Amino acid sequence: MEDQVDIGGGQTRMEAAFGAGDGDDEATAVVAKSQSSLGQIFEQKYRPWEGDLGPRWMRNYAIYRHHVYGVFTSKGHRQYHPMVRLLILVIFLTSLTPVPMLFLSSLIGDDGGFFEKMWGINRYNLWGQVLGYFPRNICMWPLLTAVVVGGMISDDRQHGTSAIYFSRPISRLDYIAMKYLSVAIILGFVIVFSYFVYYTSAIVFRAEGWAFLADTLPIFLGGMLAGSILVITYTSIGLALSSISQSRFFAAIGFLSIIYGTKLVSLLVELQFETTFLYIMSPYDCLAHLGQYLVGIPLNYDHPLSFSVVSLIAMNCAAIWLLVSRVSSLEVTRE
Amino acid sequence: MPEQGQLIESPIIVTKGLRKMYGPHLALDDVNLEIPRGSVGILGPNGAGKSTLFKCLLGLITTTSGEGTVLGHDIRSEGESIRSKIGYMPEYNALDPNLFAIDQVRYAGELLGMNSKNATRRSHEVLEYVGLKDQRYRKIETFSTGMLQATKLACALVHDPEILICDEPTNGLDQRARSFMLQTLSRTVREGNRSVLMSSHVMDDVQEVCDNIVMIHQGRIVVQRSIEELVKQVDKEIELVVWGGASRMEDKLRSSGLEARRLGRVIRVKMESDETIEEILRAAVQSSVQVRQMKEYEPDLEDIFLLIMDKLGAEIKGTEDLMTPEHTGGA
Repeated sequence: MEDQVDIGGGQTRMEAAFGAGDGDDEATAVVAKSQSSLGQIFEQKYRPWEGDLGPRWMRNYAIYRHHVYGVFTSKGHRQYHPMVRLLILVIFLTSLTPVPMLFLSSLIGDDGGFFEKMWGINRYNLWGQVLGYFPRNICMWPLLTAVVVGGMISDDRQHGTSAIYFSRPISRLDYIAMKYLSVAIILGFVIVFSYFVYYTSAIVFRAEGWAFLADTLPIFLGGMLAGSILVITYTSIGLALSSISQSRFFAAIGFLSIIYGTKLVSLLVELQFETTFLYIMSPYDCLAHLGQYLVGIPLNYDHPLSFSVVSLIAMNCAAIWLLVSRVSSLEVTRE
Repeated sequence: MPEQGQLIESPIIVTKGLRKMYGPHLALDDVNLEIPRGSVGILGPNGAGKSTLFKCLLGLITTTSGEGTVLGHDIRSEGESIRSKIGYMPEYNALDPNLFAIDQVRYAGELLGMNSKNATRRSHEVLEYVGLKDQRYRKIETFSTGMLQATKLACALVHDPEILICDEPTNGLDQRARSFMLQTLSRTVREGNRSVLMSSHVMDDVQEVCDNIVMIHQGRIVVQRSIEELVKQVDKEIELVVWGGASRMEDKLRSSGLEARRLGRVIRVKMESDETIEEILRAAVQSSVQVRQMKEYEPDLEDIFLLIMDKLGAEIKGTEDLMTPEHTGGA
């Protein structure tokens, strides 16, 4: 440390009030009484902790649990606003409306009748359960995604809680992965699980056998895959938006704007120019296009399916790139 | 046993030629550190490189060159191991306002890999330790600044880290909360046998807690020594408060061969020998001046800091120049 500053022989500062040399004969000192000690009502004692810290999966599970359990109980976990939790419940219950209809259908023996056509298991209804525009993709899934992703990362930016993560042995990859998984699980629970319940309840209520399974299982799996891709895409876009702002509102509104805005613009272009090509910029339509192919119903878009698939891949890649780059910029020492 | 003794005495943080550049900007330049166990104050003006140093020590950013270890772990490749053994108390707010204090601290423990049961039990202990026993089940959004700082400290202490890094721990605290925070940090060092690295612009705070200081200026380590040693380097002075001819007295002192300087009625005289006091009194008699107060001036850390900054050519008149409204609680 030979290059350290040598302060030997230095003079310390002096302080005196302005005009301190004038008229101090008349000055009278006012001496404050010393404040009595307020004391402490407990004995402060440092207690060491001898335990061992768990491995990486325990840390990651803590992040996952914090975010997912919060949907069910805010006590001790991430707090979702009661209205958000209520909305998630309403959307979940609404997504299960075909189940009582199927039950009613089986109860009244409505074979091939109205109930069967509207809610029975077929390619169109399975596609519609996940990818139907009204009400699911206009009123339910985008809204659900918006409220779930809203504060997922933006809250960490706003409150500086990213420091709690990154000053601990949590890598950025783990942080992103667990946040992503948490959102995907919540969306998946509502979107994919309700789809699964819908399909299985049809089997149970109508006492379907192996032949039904053999006929419909591939369609069901196609729909499930489409639902999973929807969950992944919405999670990617939603989290990317959450990572670029400090506001829940921005992320939520941004997501809804992208989903509805691109759909609206594409629709206007289609009406004006009679081309569906611009639908490749609408995440919903790309998913719907792919979903139609996966469940095997006629495609109602003019452009090739590959365009929608490439567009979906590009959207996901761009969203994840944005997410990763923004999370990399989250600070520990200051935000 | 001698080996164990050597281990205890070995420095907890060592860096050699550490350099960090952000593009063309040199944030840390050839930083050579050997930080012993105990309490160490990290001082420096804003933008000196304190935060960058912390980030390097936590293994959060890659260094441009040089090497370093924290508790024997390489800062370049073992960041996660380092962060498992360090408790970091950030300067800025880092708490979820919607959580209860107990849940926040428990979650902080779980993020380190503690299981939920251990983390909860430990959270109770540390919250009691930082004086928040009765506020454990209050939402953080209802906390005062002092409580927020205490909660951040509890989060940092939850896993009983070997090193506690505190970035401006007394930011915005009132006198009582500040005293309690400093007392808690001191106790952590003394009773807990833990090491504390503390950065602060309030020199009194550093002096109260720390035995050693590391001073950074423009990315370089300019001083790394114990406070006691630094105080010894400064000239001993006698401070007088006089009445009835301070300038006469100053002239007399100088003509007597003493080194004196004056500001208003306050005169400081360099203590050359034991006879200096007698010479001062003699000069006072000869110049018909009342000596109202006379004491040996003990330089504090702020004096030393300003002295060093002055030697380095930094234009800092007082530590207030280093502070932002956040340091003073927004005042």
